[in-house]
Amino acid sequence: MRAALAQASLIRHRARTLLAVLGVAVAAAMLLDMVMLSTGMRESFRELLVSRGFDIRLAPKGTLPFDTDATIPDVAAITSVLRNNADIREISPVLGASIHIPVGNRDVSSAVLGIDPSVQGDYEFLSGRDVTTADAIVANDYLIRQLGARIGDTLAVATGYDPQTRTYTGQRKLVLTGRARFIYGAAEQSASAVRRETLEAMEGQARHDRASLFMIRVRKGADPDRVREWIETYIPSVSAISVATAIAQVDQRLSYFRQLALILGAVSLFVGFLLVTTLVTVSVNERSGEIAVMRAIGVSRTHVVQQIVLEGIAISLAGALIGLGLGLVTARYLNAILSAFPGLPMAIDFFLFQPDAVWIALGLLIASGIGAGIYPAWRAASLPIAESLRREAIA
Amino acid sequence: MLFTLLGALLIQAQQNSPRTIAIDESLAAKANLRLGDRVTISARPGGDDFAVMTATRAGYTPGVAAPETVVVGAIVRRGADPSEVARGDFLVRMHLDQLQSVSGYGDRVDRFAIATRPSARIGALVERINRVAFGFRAYRSRDIAVETSRTFQVVSRFHRAIGLITIVASSVFLLCIMVLKVEERRRDIAALRLMGISRWSVVQSIIIEAALVAVLGSMLGVALGWAASLFVNWHYQALYRTPLEFSIVTLPIVAVAVSLSLLLGIGAGVLASLRLVRTPPLVLFGR
Repeated sequence: MRAALAQASLIRHRARTLLAVLGVAVAAAMLLDMVMLSTGMRESFRELLVSRGFDIRLAPKGTLPFDTDATIPDVAAITSVLRNNADIREISPVLGASIHIPVGNRDVSSAVLGIDPSVQGDYEFLSGRDVTTADAIVANDYLIRQLGARIGDTLAVATGYDPQTRTYTGQRKLVLTGRARFIYGAAEQSASAVRRETLEAMEGQARHDRASLFMIRVRKGADPDRVREWIETYIPSVSAISVATAIAQVDQRLSYFRQLALILGAVSLFVGFLLVTTLVTVSVNERSGEIAVMRAIGVSRTHVVQQIVLEGIAISLAGALIGLGLGLVTARYLNAILSAFPGLPMAIDFFLFQPDAVWIALGLLIASGIGAGIYPAWRAASLPIAESLRREAIA
Repeated sequence: MLFTLLGALLIQAQQNSPRTIAIDESLAAKANLRLGDRVTISARPGGDDFAVMTATRAGYTPGVAAPETVVVGAIVRRGADPSEVARGDFLVRMHLDQLQSVSGYGDRVDRFAIATRPSARIGALVERINRVAFGFRAYRSRDIAVETSRTFQVVSRFHRAIGLITIVASSVFLLCIMVLKVEERRRDIAALRLMGISRWSVVQSIIIEAALVAVLGSMLGVALGWAASLFVNWHYQALYRTPLEFSIVTLPIVAVAVSLSLLLGIGAGVLASLRLVRTPPLVLFGR
């Protein structure tokens, strides 16, 4: 009965109901996008960090991984200390550097990682052969295109290049053995990997027994934060960064987007709320005589309130359902814009679809629909019956 | 003789006294440093006495030079550089030779900045330098600015997209409010029509009313936007410790917002009023 009356009231003014639903839909789309933005970035980054199963990163003291060119000395000694902790399952030291490869008259440069292929967590191997030998190098598609090379080609790879004299240092012949997708690399960024001992040998004594980063996998069930604290106690020359710490630091750097999401989300919700409140209030004002008649023939206040609140919920729900679909489309568009950030890893999404985001947006919209119906419902319930009937009769 | 001796003593004292550096406000706050404090600077992080990291991000060979003790001679406010805003880096300014020594950089620099005379033909000058350059390249500052501001171009595109969605939402909202506002006056309009007032006069009156509502609303919106802009600048300048203006309300922006609102208001008024004047007055009365 209540639902039928609410439906009749909404259908009576089709144009205004349609406009209100459309308005709520746009607000709902914006709200969903902002909920996705506020949580998606963090979740996407967390997924990226844990995708290869490493729980802790060690960087030179006071720095973030690969934020500077600083390196950690005494890799062998640090590895030996780390092995004393039974909670540490796997250790992957990584040395980062730049390489230069002459191609005709051009110099092609790229980032290179010195890794141990059996424990590396920096790339997904796509085709060919991994760096199983000392003279092997794997590269991403972008670098392979830049080089115009094919798997099996021999490249003259150097770790130093003096543009003034156009001479290369630390040069070595390496065979391009495979293609890889570097997890932390940007779309248009050259990246390659060789064995760590190969890179150390090419870099000379200055980089001997050094690493830019250690990636550590802890035993299942062990607490990564306890392991992190243990590492910082026993190896003071490094900063140990757990997934939670890394996320907190990214949160700090990208706090602008979270705050923007919060503000725009709140504004969207408020606009939707205002729209539904206005519409239902106008509808109640127009139907004051009708409501007075209902009250006069014995319809209870609760019944009237429920009918009005139901109208608000119906508009909010219809708008929310359309808006959630619209929000997913706009989220893809907005994500494509932000994916163009220079140096952003390909795997990072600013707008990540999560069912939780949809439920949060839907819950907020329904709550706002209920809230929007409360004022007009209160007005309807407190209408003076006799006076309203008299006014209606005169009109 | 006395002056010579004093001069020599002064020079020796200057040579023995540590050199000064300038640090930015955020580093001073984070490391609790004050003017006159002594700190040890090193290109190699991780030492027990490590306090300050050099500003260069690339090119140095860690551990080549010994750490150096210096005095904080100045605490500076950083310039409004958008590319540094979210990085949270600290900045230390020191003499070139001092940085070259600490970082083990030798007689090298990352770049030269060249100021030209106002009458100089910069394009020709860049071309000339590049013709004779050996191992380096000259760029116009403008081109470098474009390249380094890619992050902000992306943010700007994102803001434009959000702005577009906001405009769509506002249009629907405005149209809905106008339809409601006009429909609320069905009986007034019916009475006017029955009294012989022409349809066009009714439409005109509603359009004027819609335009007035739009102008008043947009004025209120401009005031709200201006206050929000003040808050945004205050908040983000404090958060990122930068004098950068994050939000600027300019006359063209106000003009665009008011015009758009006026246009939407009038459009909504026309649509809503046409809908009503086409309906027979008795139907509007509910008869």
